[in-house]
Formats: sequence, C-alpha cells, structure tokens
Amino acid sequence: MEHSHDSVLAGSIHAYSIYLHTPFCQQRCTYCDFNTVAGRSSLIPRYVHALCTEIVTTTANLHQPLPVHTVYFGGGTPSLLQPEQVQDILGTISHVFNLLPGVEITMEANPGTLELDRLAGYHAAGINRISLGMQTSNAEELRMLGRIHTNAGTIEAVDLARRAGFTNISLDLIYSLPCQNLASWKATVQDAVELQPQHLSLYALKLEDGTPLALRVASGDLPEPDPDLAADMYEAAAGMLLQNGYAQYEISNWALDAPGQRFQSRHNRQYWENRPYFGFGAGAHALLAEQRLVNLPGLTAYIKACETTQPAEFPRGPATTQATPRTPQEAIDDHMILGLRLTEEGVNLADVTIRYGIDPLECFGSQIALLTKQGLLEFTNNHLAIRLTPRGRLLGNQVFYHFLRD
Amino acid sequence: MTTHIRNFCIIAHIDHGKSTLADRLLQLTGTISDREMKEQVLDSMDLEREKGVTIKASAVRMVYTAKDGNEYHLNLIDTPGHVDFSYEVSRALAACEGALLIVDASQGIEAQTLANLYLALEADLTIIPVINKIDLISARPDEVAEEISNLLGCDPDTVLRISAKEGLHVDQVLEAIVTQVPPPHGRQDEPLKALVFDSHYDSYKGTVAYVRVVEGQLNAQDTLLAMSTNIVIRPVEIGYFSPVMKPTDLLDNAEVGYIATGLKSVSECRVGDTITSVKNPAAEKLPGYQQAKPMVYAGIYPVEGEDYLDLKDALGKLQMNDASLVYEPETSQALNFGFRCGFLGLFHMEIIQERIEREYDLDIVITAPSVEYEVVLRTGETILVDSPADLPEEGDIVEIREPWMRLQIFTPTDFYGTVMELATKRRGIFVEQEYPAPNRVQLVYEIPLSELIVDFFDDLKTRTRGYASMDYSFGEYRPGDLVKLEILVGGDPVDALATIVHREDAYHRGQALVSKLKELIPRQLFDVAIQAYSTGRVISRANVKALRKDVLAKCYGGDITRKKKLLEKQKKGKKRMKMVGNVEIPQEAFMAVLKLEDK
Ligand SMILES: Nc1nc2c(ncn2[C@@H]2O[C@H](COP(=O)(O)OP(=O)(O)O)[C@@H](O)[C@H]2O)c(=O)[nH]1
Ligand code: SF4
Repeated sequence: MEHSHDSVLAGSIHAYSIYLHTPFCQQRCTYCDFNTVAGRSSLIPRYVHALCTEIVTTTANLHQPLPVHTVYFGGGTPSLLQPEQVQDILGTISHVFNLLPGVEITMEANPGTLELDRLAGYHAAGINRISLGMQTSNAEELRMLGRIHTNAGTIEAVDLARRAGFTNISLDLIYSLPCQNLASWKATVQDAVELQPQHLSLYALKLEDGTPLALRVASGDLPEPDPDLAADMYEAAAGMLLQNGYAQYEISNWALDAPGQRFQSRHNRQYWENRPYFGFGAGAHALLAEQRLVNLPGLTAYIKACETTQPAEFPRGPATTQATPRTPQEAIDDHMILGLRLTEEGVNLADVTIRYGIDPLECFGSQIALLTKQGLLEFTNNHLAIRLTPRGRLLGNQVFYHFLRD
Repeated sequence: MTTHIRNFCIIAHIDHGKSTLADRLLQLTGTISDREMKEQVLDSMDLEREKGVTIKASAVRMVYTAKDGNEYHLNLIDTPGHVDFSYEVSRALAACEGALLIVDASQGIEAQTLANLYLALEADLTIIPVINKIDLISARPDEVAEEISNLLGCDPDTVLRISAKEGLHVDQVLEAIVTQVPPPHGRQDEPLKALVFDSHYDSYKGTVAYVRVVEGQLNAQDTLLAMSTNIVIRPVEIGYFSPVMKPTDLLDNAEVGYIATGLKSVSECRVGDTITSVKNPAAEKLPGYQQAKPMVYAGIYPVEGEDYLDLKDALGKLQMNDASLVYEPETSQALNFGFRCGFLGLFHMEIIQERIEREYDLDIVITAPSVEYEVVLRTGETILVDSPADLPEEGDIVEIREPWMRLQIFTPTDFYGTVMELATKRRGIFVEQEYPAPNRVQLVYEIPLSELIVDFFDDLKTRTRGYASMDYSFGEYRPGDLVKLEILVGGDPVDALATIVHREDAYHRGQALVSKLKELIPRQLFDVAIQAYSTGRVISRANVKALRKDVLAKCYGGDITRKKKLLEKQKKGKKRMKMVGNVEIPQEAFMAVLKLEDK
C-alpha cells in the first residue's frame, strides 16, 4: 500500500504531493489568520535556503527518490519569491524526488505582485499552473479586505500570466462578505468568468477570531454576514458557472469541463483522496507513512531548526514539531470526510473496501441511512458510491461529523 | 462551674469579614499556630470560599487567658450566612449567649446584618457590635457607628473598631467577649439535654452532630437518644473542635462540642433535635425543633443517560451531609430519567448544582425551579404539585394556592423607586418600611415565592447597582389566579419547559419564552415551530427556519486537523442536545425560563 514509503510503486496513482509554504506577505489582509508575516521580506533568501535544506534533510534517509505528481507553492504570498529562488527550490526537489512526467506545479499568486518578466521567470522555472487571489472585483470589498491589488490589477495579472505562457489559470473568489449583496457577488462571478480561467475556487468568508475584520463585525462597525444570503450566493454562482461551461467537482471548486479532468486541481485532489503529501516550510502540514506531521510555525524557529538539525527517521524532518500517528479507523474517517467533498464522484464504496479492508456500509451503515433519509447524501454510480446531494453541499458539516468516530 | 465559658457566634452580612475575624481569633488565642493558619479555616469547603459564604457551621473552642488573669473557654459557633438557612442560623444562635455583630466600615448595615440581628435579639443574645475593615480608605466608621447606635441604642463611641485583616484591635474583641457575654447558666445535675445545632457526615465516624450541652453533662460512655427522630446513638466518640476534632471523655454542662454518632445520614440526627441519655432521659425536648421543608423544586437530569446512577449516588452522598436536600426519581419525555429535587431556596439549589458538577464531575441539566402548589380539586381533594407538568386539567381544579413570603429589602434610599417598581411588578404587596440607618430604607413586602425564584435577586442587584440586599421567610399559602403555561416544540409539548404562572402574566411570559427559545434552539435541517400554549389556546408562536449553510471552506496546505477539531466540537455539541421528537434542544433552553428579560 502507498502508506509505506518503501513499497511505493511508480505511477501517478500512488505518487506523492508536495506542499511548500511561503509565509511572507506584503501586507496583511484584514480577514487573514494564516501563518504569514508582513514586512519581513529581507528574510526570504535565508528562508529559501532553509526550505531547500529541509527538503534534503527530510529525504536523506530514503533509499530511493519518491515519485511526485504535484507540487504546490502556497502561502502567504509565494509570488514574493524571485524566479531564481523558485528555480532553486524546484531544482532541489527534482534532485531528491522523482518528478513524474506531467507533474502539476502550482503557484498561488497575489495579483498585486506580478510583472511579465517575473511570471515568465516562474514559467521557465517549471511552474505550469497559477492560482490568482482575485477574491472580488468590487473595489470597496477589496479595500475592506485589505487586498493590495485592484480589480484592474487582477485583469492585468491574468493577461500577463497568459502572455508569460500559462495555460492553466485558477481564480480564488471569496463571498459572504459584510455588506456584500447578491448583485455585487454575481457581478464578481461574472467578471471572473469573463477572464476565462480554467479553474475557480469559491470560498465563503469565515470570520476568524482576532482578525481586524472580525473585530469590526464584533464591534458593530460592519454587519455580520447572513448565512442564508451566503447560501443564495453559492447557489447563484453554481448556476452561473454551470452555464459558462464549468463543472463543479468539489464543494468549493469548479473546473472547465475537459477530458480527463484536465483542469481539476490535482494537488488538492491528493488531500481529498486521502493520499500522502509532504509539507515543507514554516508551519506546513504533511501526511506521510500514516502520520500527520506539523512543522514549527515560527519563522525564525523554523529557519534555525532547518539550519542546525540532523536527519531524523522518516517521515520526520528537521522542523517537525508534531508527528501524530493516525489509526486505521481515523484513516477511514478521514477518507469519508475528505472524499465526500468531491461532489461529482463522491466516495466509491468499493475503493474504500479495497484500500482499508472494511466495507463503509458496515461501519457507517446507520449514519448513511440517516443522512440519505435527511436528503443530505445520495447513492450514485449504480449504488457504488455515495455523494452529497445539492442541499448536502451547503450542509457538509451536518454530514461530516457523522463520520467522526470516537 | 460555667463561669469560665463563653458561647458566642459571629453574625455578619456576606463579605463583611466574619471568616477573617474568626481566623484572627484562632491565631490570637493560639488555637492554631500562624504556620498552621490556612486561609479561612472555618470555611472548609472550596465552594463556600468562592461564594464567600459559610454553608456549614462549625464550633471551635479557644482557650484564652484574659486580662483578669483567668483562663476562659471561648466557644465560637459559626452560622450560615445565607437566607435559605435561617432555620440553621436560629439553632446556632440558640446555642450561644452572645453574638459579635460585624459590620463592614465602608458598606454599613445590610439586609442580612439586620435579619440575623433580629434573630439574635429574639434569641436573647448579648450583642457586641464590631466595625470591621477600618483600614480601608473608603471606611466611614463614624457613620457606621451612628447607624449601629440607632439600631441597638448603644453609645456609638463604645463600638469596637477593628481591622480583621491587619489584626488591628482584635484583642479588644476577645476582652469584650469575656466581659460582656454572660456566662451560660445550665443545671449540671439535670438529665442531659444537648442541642444539635449543626452536623456533617464523616466517612469514618458517621454523622457528627455539633452540640451545645444545655442541661446536665455528656459522657462518652452514655448511650444516647435523639429525641425527635427517636434514634438511639452509641457514640463512636465525643469531643470538641480545636479546630480539629479532639476526643474527650466528658462534655461538661454549657460546653460546646461534638458527638460522632456512627449514624449513616445527617437526617437521622437533625439540626434542632435534642440529645439525651437513655439511662436518665430528659422529660421533654428543647423548644424550636422543625423539620426542614423544601421551598423550591427542580428536576436534575444527567446530560448523558449513562450517568444516571452516578447522579443518584451523588445526590445520596450530598444528602448524607445535608438533611434539607430531598429528591426522588422523575421521568421526563424530553430529559428521560432524573430526579425531582427539593431545596430550601434558590441559593441552596445553586450550591447543590455546583457541588454535583464540581465534586462529582457530572454534567447535568437542571430545569426551571418551581415552588410547591396546593391544588384543590373538584373531588374535594387537595394535592401538592411541585412540578408544573403534573398540574391537573384546568377543568378539574377548583383552586390553586401558592406560597407567599415575607420579603425584606434593604437598600440605600436612592433606589427606593426602582425597588418599589420591581416588587410591585412581581406581585409584591407593600407591608411597611423602616429607616434603620441614615439614607437606608428597609422595605417589607408580601410576595409569592414563585416570583422570587425567577431572577428576582439578579434584577434587584442590577437595579440597585449591587447596593441592595434581601432576606425572606415563609408566610403562608394563598389562593392565586394561576394557569399552566406549556411550550410546544415541533408540535410536541415539552414537559420540562412547562411553568405555572399568574393568568395575567401568561401572555407576555409565553411570548418572552418563545422568543428566548427561538434564540436558543439552533437551526435544524427542517423548520421548527415553537409555540406557547395556555388555557386552551396558542398564545405565541415562532419559527426556527431550517438551516441552509453549514460547511467549512478549504483546508489550507492540507491542515485537516484543524477542520476535524471543529467537527469534533460540533459532534460534542450535538451529543449534549436533548431530543424532543426530531428536534434537538440545547441544555440551556431548559433554564431559559430563568433568564427572561422583561420586555
Ligand atoms: N481591607 C480589609 N479587608 C478585609 C478585612 N476583613 C476581611 N477583609 C476582606 O473582605 C473579604 C471578605 O472577608 P471574609 O472574612 O471572607 O468575609 P465573610 O463572608 O464575612 O466570611 C475578604 O476579601 C477579606 O480579605 C479588613 O479588616 N480589612
Ligand atoms: S495575501 Fe493571503 S496570506 Fe497574505 S495576508 Fe492576504 S490573505 Fe493572508
């Protein structure tokens, strides 16, 4: 099985993914509680060096390079890295891993940080998919969110990315904002569609404790978003995207309909399919050899650890601060919770039986019966799979918690 | 020879410094060394310390050599500091000849100061007023001395002024006890009569009765009899507190000490009972014995059904120590198996609730408290109803009677108007007023107990910015125009949410309850109707709309643990819900009746 690193077979179905974290931003957005810092870009060179060290150290004890089919630069703002730095990182990776043909290499990019040469540089370094944080096309909303770009900036960024050679572009949008109404949201979706991206992610804003935006809402300065309106927004967007040739494949994700799921995010599918991934960088998470690993979140602590720590036993890396083994039961629970996010195919029951040796109808029979009765789950694919109903997509949590066993 | 004995207690409003002063007295008399000195020895339960009140009285013997060169036994008898325990207070006072009246130098006289003072005067005790906390910058000892002088008719200049915290003038208190409190006068040759004024349960020695030997002598070898319960006691040991238990062979006439009875429950040897000897029994009991009577009832249910037996066990253990707690099994459709419990008052209920949660680590739901109603039926029969769900059909009822209390509120005159308004709104009938101190008024009302147990004290505190205090005691049962108010959720009546209310209040209470429940009941997968129903019709309704969106966004960089934690929390929350039909109702909803704001 793919859990044990020794018995990995070549071939993309058993391949690994790599997540790389860049915890730097030019300025913090008002809703953001990610692991990132603003105004410390002078540390980037040292950080990149640490990252490369971490990659090498973590894999030092492996007998053979592991096959990798997706690499993902997430953040923070990875587009604050210079193309040369991206090249260094990817060079290191290709040195210690076996990058499979057709490997998907994504970079999240902030529209406010891009010029043509830079984009061309990324493309030349090997990035072949770019995910742009458009968020909204509404100027006032962009300001409220504290984004560093305008909508004109987003339009230009898409154009530049195309000119730099990118043919797989994704846009992130965010809805259920304070003061946002259905009309302004539809306008954002329309503007996004007109940019003809290959992929779209739609996320509902979650007001995270302590963020400036949450504080403004708590103080009454901004109205609290209405969850029913959020549901309307979601449904409206789903309708518009369908009309424009986008197929929904996950709760928050749509891809241009193309043969072989060409434009779906393969990297994110790795998570939803409950398959292993490396996580490099400060605070990065990984799932390897049936352990969940977390790196030191602090920037300088992370750098120091990478600079000084010797190779440990795989899957631990130099900056690992937590490594929690996952029980077989947890693995199945995770599989259900993550797999049900795939709205089209859902969870294939036979696959589960083959992968974990247990029939999900056996351990979750009563839950599945209840949820289908409640109209949140349905059988599909000739009763071979279960998936969320359209209503269930909006009520995912009401479904998922049933699959968490004690 | 009883001339060397002084039996006294300390009466004070909560927080005026009773425990602190007791500590100082123990230290100064060497009863406890400075090193042994734990904070507030007399309050042995954590809970009391936190609540700042004494729930269990104790009795400590101090040996003190006075300025006259003689050695005295000073027996300090501690009294419970709260209104719900006024019977226990009265028994403790009956064991004394004198009382220290502690008044906070910055707060002045408060309702409990007065209530307990009146009890002490009734019991014929010599009162020694003491102004405490004179070290505070906000202290106004002259004014307070004036207040005390108005009250007691003493010379303001003779009132002791101390700081218990800093130990200032505490020696004067000891001398005053010796010189002012009269020595007890009991007859040593009479048959034994010992007054039980408190008790606690000890897992080795059984019920430990705290006694004052009123007549005769108490011998360790005697076989004893509790006269009211008619239970024979072969003492495991007798002794006194110093402050730990010190066994002796003899408790002499007029002394204070304990009898370790070996009995399994404090209810077999109740506060107020008289202990005599089997060999030479007294002809009659000491006066004043009363059976503890619960005034407030509520259902206590385990959150998890499987905790039922643990809850039963916890109540049993608590009852061993607390004869005034009563309980019996009860079943509710909404909450399944639990217990109907009777308490002396709302405060007593809170203490029991907290002890179950804290000492026994049980999650419980406690339903809205109710008083006990007398219901006269068409059949001519009168039944007692302490659970609104048990109220018979309206057509079968001739009359419902409810307990009325005599309520005293003590407040700065500034708040006269708002206190008046509160009492009137709660059906209070004004009886009289008094001005026992400058700028202070004591208002006396008759008021239904059912009005007091719903948020009255909190409301009073809010209205008077914490300045008012109150005290109440049972008056009588009176007929009232009362009706049952029921709540239907998803069409089903929820027994645990039923209440009995005054007919005039039914409408607005129903509305308030429905809108509160609308806030508390989370949106579910379907619409949920909430209705208030009384005297044959729906008087208020609301709808909790079906939930539409509840889904977590993406997991950043594969951090699924965070997401799972949220789901975990959600699952736990669900588990704590109670199912009524298909509807999940959170625990707090069952206490909602208590937290209704007036609209
Ligand atoms: N400043 C000052 N504080 C005191 C004095 N006596 C007691 N206190 C404080 O008042 C609070 C209540 O005292 P406590 O003895 O627990 O009061 P009880 O509720 O009457 O037993 C505590 O915080 C004491 O530390 C005093 O003489 N001066
Ligand atoms: S760009 Fe992204 S990571 Fe950076 S502050 Fe904004 S939301 Fe946070």
